[in-house]
Amino acid sequence: MAETKERLRRTMMFVPGNNPAMVKDAGIYGADSIMFDLEDAVSMNEKDAARDLVYEALQTQDYGNAELVVRINGADTPYYHNDILAMVKAGIEVIRLPKTETAAMIEQLEADVLAAEKRFGRPEGSTHLMAAIESAKGVLNSPEIAAASQRMIGIALSAEDYTTDMKTHRYPDGAELQFARNMVLHAARAAGIAAFDTVFSNMNDPEGFYRETEYIHQLGFDGKSLVNPRQIPMVNKVYQPTQAEIENAQNVMKAIEEAKIKGSGVISMNGQMVDRPVVMRAQRVMMLAQAAHLVDEEGN
Amino acid sequence: MTVIELNLSLPEVKNQWQNFLQKLGINNFSTAEIQQLDLTLGLYEDEQLVATASAAHNVIKYVGVCQQDSTPGARFNQIISELTSRLYQQGIFHLFVFTKPQYSLSFQHVGFKQLADSSQAVFLETGTPDIQDYLAQLPQVSQSHPQKIAAIVMNANPFTLGHRYLVKRALQQSDYVYVFVVNTDASLFKTSERIQLVKAGLKDLPHALVVNGGDYMVSYATFPAYFLQSGQDVVRYQTTLDAHIFRDLIAPACQISTRFLGSEPLSPTTAIYNQVLQQELPPKVQVQVIERKQSDSQKVISASTVRQALAHNQLATIKDLVPATTYQFMQEHKALLETRIKEGMRINGN
Amino acid sequence: MEIKETAVAGTLESSDIQIMITKADQGISIELESDVAKQFGQQIKKVITDTLKQLDIDAAHVKAVDKGALDCVIKARTIAAAQRATKTVDTPAWEVL
Repeated sequence: MAETKERLRRTMMFVPGNNPAMVKDAGIYGADSIMFDLEDAVSMNEKDAARDLVYEALQTQDYGNAELVVRINGADTPYYHNDILAMVKAGIEVIRLPKTETAAMIEQLEADVLAAEKRFGRPEGSTHLMAAIESAKGVLNSPEIAAASQRMIGIALSAEDYTTDMKTHRYPDGAELQFARNMVLHAARAAGIAAFDTVFSNMNDPEGFYRETEYIHQLGFDGKSLVNPRQIPMVNKVYQPTQAEIENAQNVMKAIEEAKIKGSGVISMNGQMVDRPVVMRAQRVMMLAQAAHLVDEEGN
Repeated sequence: MTVIELNLSLPEVKNQWQNFLQKLGINNFSTAEIQQLDLTLGLYEDEQLVATASAAHNVIKYVGVCQQDSTPGARFNQIISELTSRLYQQGIFHLFVFTKPQYSLSFQHVGFKQLADSSQAVFLETGTPDIQDYLAQLPQVSQSHPQKIAAIVMNANPFTLGHRYLVKRALQQSDYVYVFVVNTDASLFKTSERIQLVKAGLKDLPHALVVNGGDYMVSYATFPAYFLQSGQDVVRYQTTLDAHIFRDLIAPACQISTRFLGSEPLSPTTAIYNQVLQQELPPKVQVQVIERKQSDSQKVISASTVRQALAHNQLATIKDLVPATTYQFMQEHKALLETRIKEGMRINGN
Repeated sequence: MEIKETAVAGTLESSDIQIMITKADQGISIELESDVAKQFGQQIKKVITDTLKQLDIDAAHVKAVDKGALDCVIKARTIAAAQRATKTVDTPAWEVL
C-alpha cells in the first residue's frame, strides 16, 4: 500500500480502450501510469468490445513498471458493473471513477470492487481507486472524496467538464482553474494521496504546454494527465530535479545511512538535525533523478 | 482523427463533400443518386476532410480517400471500417460495392470478395449471407445421368402467359429449367408476390425450378452510375457485370448450359441487355432467344400492358394475357395494387 | 451456447481483426482474410476456435478479416462478437473467460 502511494506519477497517459494499436503500444512510451479508457473515448456501441479488449490486454501484455489504471463508466450507466467485474478479475491496479461528486460514490465503488474481489478470489484490498473530479460539486467535496477509502491513491482534476459546469471554458492562462487546482491538490495532500492535473490537448502549442506543466509542478501536483505520448518527455523534463537539488538530496541520503550505521535515531547533517519533511523531499528528488537517469539505482 | 456523419442536406456540408470527391474524379452528383444515400461519413484530420464513404441501403457508394501525408491504406481502412460497422449495427450484414477496377484490391484487403469485373467496373461483396451461401441453398438437379439444364431470369411483374410460354419453350429443349425471379423490390408487385405468382403459374411443370434470384441478378435499380463518366453506357456496364456473375458463378454451380431470353421488340433497355448477354455468356453458356408470344388477338404479351390495364381499371381486357392464378391475385388485391400506383409506384419500365 | 443472431466485433484498422459470427448447423468453420495468412493463418484460427470452445459454442460460422492483430486482440474480438451473437453482452460469463 505504502509503496503504491509513494510511486512516481508524473505522467498518466490516456489510451482509448477500443483501439488495439494504441492498447498494444501503450507500454513503449515510458509513461509512469497508463490509463485505459472505457468511458469517453469509447462509443456506446463499443463499450463491451473495449472492455473485452482491455481485459485481454491486461492479462497478456507487458507494460513494464507502469502503473495500470482503467477509467470505467460511471455508476449511472449500464456498463459500470461489468466494467468493475472485468477489471478486478483481470487484476487491474487502479480503477478510476469518472465524474466523482461525493464520498458516497467512492464508498459504493469500494463495496462493488470488494464484492468482485471476493467473487474472483482476488486479494481483498488489492484493487486501488482514484477519483476524477469534473464538477463544482466534486471540487467542493474533494477533501471527503480523497479520504473516502483506504484504497484511494489519487484524485485528478478533469477540466473539460469542470469548466462547462462553471459556465466558462479553458483559457491559456488557466485562471478559471485556479480554485479547482488548489482545492483538489489540498484535498490530495491532506489525505496523503496523489494529485493529477488535467489534460492539455492542443498539440500545436508546446510552449503553452510547458508553461502549464511548470505551473502545476510549482503548485505541487504529482503530474499530469496526457492524451499524446509526445507529451511524456516534455513533462519529465519539467519534473527533472536540478543538479543542486540532487546533490543536496544525496547528502541527506548519506546522512541517513550514517545514522543507520551508528544506530542513531537522530539524523544530522552539518551539525543540524534533519527532520522528516527534508528526508521525504530528498527521497522524492532521488526518485525523480533516478527516473530521469541522472543518477544510478544506488543514487550515485 | 475523427469520423463523423455528414448531413448532406446542409448545403455547406454537401459542397465541401462534393468538392472533395470532384478532386478525386467523381463527377455524378445527380439528385437521383444522392437521394438514395442513407448514410455518409467523413474522416477529418486537422479539420480537413480526408476520406468519405456512403451507403444506399446495403450498397457502398461515393468512396473517396486522399492519400496525401498518410500511411497507404490507413484512411481507406478507417472509413470503410466505420461505415461497415455502422451498417452491421443496423443489422445490415451483407454489403456490396460497385467501383472502378483500380480500387478492387483496396476492398479485397478489408475482406471484400470480387464477384465480377469488367473493363469499367467491378462488383464486390462482404459479410453474410454471401454468394456461397446463396449457391448452397439452390435446389440441385441430380447428375446421376447427364441432364440438360437451362435458366431464365425474369422480373415477372406480374407473371404472364408470355413468361409461361418462354419457360415451356425452354423445357422442350431441356430436362430442367431454373427460373430466377429478380429479387429487387422496386416493382409494383412485391418480390414475395412475384415469386408466389411464378410458382403458381408453373405449378404443373415440376421441371421448372422457381428460385429467388437473390442479390446476384444485378439490377438496374441497384447499379450505381455515379462513378462512371456521364454519357457512358450505364446499362451496358451493369449488364456486363450481371452476365459475368451468371456465367462464372451461378451457371457452374447449377450445371446450367443454356440461358433462354425472350425477344424484346418494345424496350430498348432490354434489347441492350439481351445483346450483352449474347456477347458475354458464350461459349461457357449458350444463349437462345425465343420469339415473344403473341396473344390470340395478335397483341404482344407484356407485363407492362398488364400493369397499364390495372392502372386504367381495365383488368378484364388482359384476362387472356395472364394465367388464371395471376388474374385471380389481381382481382383479389385490386385495391392494394391501385393504392401502390397512386402512391407513385412506376408502372412503366420493366 | 447457441448463436442467436449474426454479430460483428472489431474493425478493419491496423492491429485489429474484424470477426463476424453467424449461425451454423454444426461445427466451427472459419473463413480468414489476412495479409499474413500463410504464416499465421493456422494460429489465428486456433485462437478463434479455442475462444469459442471456452464460451461453450460448438456451432458457428466465422468470417475474420485480420489486420495484424495480436492473439489477445483476436481473443477479445471473438469474445465480443460471440457475446453479441448469443445475446449475452449484459451477462458475460466472466468465470470462463
